[in-house]
Amino acid sequence: MNIEPESCPRCDSAGPEILSHSPVAGVWTVYHCNVCFFTWRSTEPDFITDGRKYPANFKFTPAEMAQFDIMPAVPELKPR
Amino acid sequence: MPYHDLRSYLQALDQQQQLLRIVEPVKPEPDISAAACAVNKLGENAPALLFDNIQGYHHARIAMNIHGSWPNLAIAMDMPKNTPLKQQFFEFVRRYQRYPGEVEYRSQAPWQEVVIENDINLFDILPLFRLNQGDGGFYIDKASVVTRDPSAEGQAFIDSQNVGIYRIEVKGRNRLGIQPVPAHDIAIHLQRAEELGIDLPIAITIGNDPMISTVGAMPILYQQSEYAMAGALNGVPYPVVTTALTGLDVPWGSEFVLEGRIISRLREAEGPFGEFTGHYSGGRRMPVVEITKVSHRRDPIYEHLYLGMPWTEIDYMMGINTSAPLYVQLKEAFPEVVAVNAMYTHGLIVIVATKTRFGGFAKGIGMRVLTTPHGLGYAKMVIVVDETIDPFNLPQVMWAMSTKFNPQYDLVTVPGLSILPLDPASEPAGMTTKVIIDATTPKAPEKHGHFSQELRDPVTTEDWVAKLHALMLSH
Repeated sequence: MNIEPESCPRCDSAGPEILSHSPVAGVWTVYHCNVCFFTWRSTEPDFITDGRKYPANFKFTPAEMAQFDIMPAVPELKPR
Repeated sequence: MPYHDLRSYLQALDQQQQLLRIVEPVKPEPDISAAACAVNKLGENAPALLFDNIQGYHHARIAMNIHGSWPNLAIAMDMPKNTPLKQQFFEFVRRYQRYPGEVEYRSQAPWQEVVIENDINLFDILPLFRLNQGDGGFYIDKASVVTRDPSAEGQAFIDSQNVGIYRIEVKGRNRLGIQPVPAHDIAIHLQRAEELGIDLPIAITIGNDPMISTVGAMPILYQQSEYAMAGALNGVPYPVVTTALTGLDVPWGSEFVLEGRIISRLREAEGPFGEFTGHYSGGRRMPVVEITKVSHRRDPIYEHLYLGMPWTEIDYMMGINTSAPLYVQLKEAFPEVVAVNAMYTHGLIVIVATKTRFGGFAKGIGMRVLTTPHGLGYAKMVIVVDETIDPFNLPQVMWAMSTKFNPQYDLVTVPGLSILPLDPASEPAGMTTKVIIDATTPKAPEKHGHFSQELRDPVTTEDWVAKLHALMLSH
């Protein structure tokens, strides 16, 4: 259960980090991807923790992420 | 007595059998959101849920479904728990029109008991968890968020304060994503800050009394104060405390207060998040918040809200408080309006019951809905019915549409209007055609159809309703 993940289940980027350990030692760990910001817990079902099983229509690549619409639009600078 | 914090409200719910404590050990996922989703499937009188045995935690407490039933809402209004919906609606309207109520500034708050300013890790401070399995992370979605307009000065700056509920994704130890939907007030403050190239101070309050959450989720006017509205709805002054770091006023009774700033002119991928539309929305680049101070009560309760396929807690929570302001705004223009039901998907459908004065009047009422502040982001379909139809009684509304409506005369479509981008049918996201369905009886000079012989109940039917009801009770 606590095998360190090698990649993000959602965007497949390498190097996810540990965000938090359960206060009761050894129960779960929360991981985080610095590329797509996906967060997951070690005790979640494998269709969330395993990149091979993560639903295809919810996966995206860093390249796709860069094309996401912006909301709200960043306004033009208007100095006082 | 109105409740000024979550704990006293939970006690009241408990005393009236509207609180279930889940004592068995639960996993953060999927148990907490599965239980919260399940409790609304038990009907419209569902209790709130309190979890205090969560695997991996020593002390965490999570409260769900606080607003998720008509009895819970009645108790929050200090009314009998079985008060019928229509009565709650008109009482809410009565109190809403007492605005402004009083705001009481206190110097100290229980949330000042514990303060964290270094090495903040929200994943250690809050029992965060995933709500819906497609969500991109662990969200905070029941927080009342406070900001002011940084371009305003003096009293205008003070008065610009806004309290609203906006979805927040926890993206790092002290880093959040936030969704300021353009139609809502925080987007105005953020725009002003970003025009000046400065960050926007923000306070995020979690675990509140039921009334400020109700107001935070309400479409009140920009210049109105949410705290003064909470005071009006409660009938007693609403207590707030000014925070030391951001200088914003937050509820005295909050369990957690997070303070920081929205970073100017930055957007980052956020979501997706399962929304009240019954669909995920996300895959957008949205603003980012950095938190630099967390304050909280000892042994705090983390309040959260499940949302997804309606009806969940959010539908109850937004039902009356969306219908009431719309009703008051419509009635200001047209005293003929009798009641408004904007409970479906936060008012994406609005049903208005009204007297009509002449042919075309009902369609005019429909168009006025579209131009109210809330109408600009919602009201994709407006159904107008006669004053004899109860808009909260869907069988009656369906009867009106089935018998009075002839699309040749009674259908108005208006293209190119604004709608919240979360509407999955909008194209592009944020734009839609809207429709007015006139299901009222035609008035002169309109002559279409043959409605002259409408059926009425036999005389004394109402007396028999009371008589039979009493007989059934004593049977």
